[in-house]
Amino acid sequence: MTARFADFVERNARARGTPLRFGFPPYPVVGMSRAVLRQYIEGNDPITSKPFTQEVTEALTSPLTEREKHPTITRKQRRARLLPVDSEENLYRKFIENGWTDGLPFVLPTEERVDEMLTGTDHAPGEIVGRMIITTHQEKMEYTVEKVAAIAVMAGARPEHFPVILALAATQEPSMPSSTTSWGRMMIVNGPIRNEIGMNCGTAALSPFNLANSVIGRAWTLMSINFGDARAGENFMATFGHNLNYNNMCCGENEELSVYEPFHVQKGFRADESVVSVFRGWNMLNFGIGSAKEMAHVISTFGGMGTSITFVVDPLVAKGLRTQGFKTKRDACKWIVENSKVPAGHYWEGQMQAGFAARMAEQGVEPFASWAKLPKDAPIAPRRSPDDINILVVGGETNPMWITTDFTHTRSVSIDKWVPKSGIRHDAKPLRMPAPVTCKDGTCGIPDHAPSAEPVTAAD
Amino acid sequence: MKQDGQLTVLDPRGQPSGIFGRRLDAESNPRAILDPFEQPSGEIKPMSMAPRLNSLDGKTVYLVETGFAGSFEFLQELQDWFARNFPSVKTMIRHKRGTMFTDDPQLWAEMKSSGADAAILGVGG
Repeated sequence: MTARFADFVERNARARGTPLRFGFPPYPVVGMSRAVLRQYIEGNDPITSKPFTQEVTEALTSPLTEREKHPTITRKQRRARLLPVDSEENLYRKFIENGWTDGLPFVLPTEERVDEMLTGTDHAPGEIVGRMIITTHQEKMEYTVEKVAAIAVMAGARPEHFPVILALAATQEPSMPSSTTSWGRMMIVNGPIRNEIGMNCGTAALSPFNLANSVIGRAWTLMSINFGDARAGENFMATFGHNLNYNNMCCGENEELSVYEPFHVQKGFRADESVVSVFRGWNMLNFGIGSAKEMAHVISTFGGMGTSITFVVDPLVAKGLRTQGFKTKRDACKWIVENSKVPAGHYWEGQMQAGFAARMAEQGVEPFASWAKLPKDAPIAPRRSPDDINILVVGGETNPMWITTDFTHTRSVSIDKWVPKSGIRHDAKPLRMPAPVTCKDGTCGIPDHAPSAEPVTAAD
Repeated sequence: MKQDGQLTVLDPRGQPSGIFGRRLDAESNPRAILDPFEQPSGEIKPMSMAPRLNSLDGKTVYLVETGFAGSFEFLQELQDWFARNFPSVKTMIRHKRGTMFTDDPQLWAEMKSSGADAAILGVGG
């Protein structure tokens, strides 16, 4: 275990009642020359300042301590529902200094504010919504409807936003999973609730011009910090971190302007059902203009780990794909997969292949084992199925542009179960930021049934 | 409730559940690491460590490569160090099946049955 993780793994082992012995070489190990690795081994453990090899040999031979013979689990204490009464100034400071926020101004979750937020659902405050943690193996932290309401208050949400935030919590997926690779996340809302709570799915949907988009996306990260127990450098080990963590690209799909079925319908939900879908990846890789051919060309230039590609496309791009002959998103995705092959040599040159695909190949797992035997110039399709490509229609028909992300869809959860039976609980005068100015007479953009100027076929 | 400038606010932190995540099995879809519903979890019990060896002389030590990039090269160098400094120790480098996120009970069973005296797993992170 490299020294960077020393405190984390030792605390984790104690928490699990498994007092393992560790030796810690310096870090990093990845990418280091043999000479450097040899220096690591022959040098000192930077945590104990003792020779690393002495740590290793003693770990195997020195007698067990009583604690190692009879380990106990270090349990975290359950927390009181309320914090000690204090002044607003002191409490605000406490939240910031304890690392319970994202560093931006927030709303203190007083009992009154949380009670008001709870009017946004019929579910009981004490109902457990889920468990979350930002690493895969640590103790999961449990949270109730009331805890989620406190987070929603902190994010600046109103009760009308609460059902979407509860559905996000029900995914049990943190927006900030811990990885040195620095994950980013994305979330998209489908169904009637988008319009009922005033989400922006059109022009500038991914920019900070919409209250619902902003506070819902933010709430996901505030719950990840507090439910996922995220602590930078302690258990959140992202080398760079990720700016998307602030808001997680929260927006709605532009179902009204899309010629294709909405994303949630692709995933088996009813069109009239409201659903939140979450994605995980790293980067927005580029923006592009053009047809499926250009989309295939762009993703064929990425080595990567063969993860999914999610295109966020303006509605004009969807219309263009339709006129090119793709009746469904899946048709387009299938064509893109089949036409984005890369030379096997290019694929195996990727550093990340060493950790995943190369191991699979060694173990005989297909298709990696077969790919490893191919000549360097043999074409392979790292994204093997149309399911490895997602198309989300977002934007305001300003231009037929798309952005490419390496995001994988991980889960879609229905929002409807969290909506009160009496309907979404709006404020008497709902808060709305100015709506983006759009084409006033509906004549802008490519007509829905324009003939294709450049039909795409398999021969292309 | 605000009394004399004082506020009562809720604690926003999650409650410990006593439920821990565990490694995926070797046959898991690599993408299962993305999905908390596919990751095994449950309550855990304390586990004491195996007795230590009196000495490494003549012993067989498995060097288990976990899957993080650079681990294999690191363990090869460690193997060389044992060869130079503990020539009586027999070292065997083995790759854990699956990825760094998966368990490999088959390998643990094989090590026990093949007379392994000790194991070093690395490198994490």
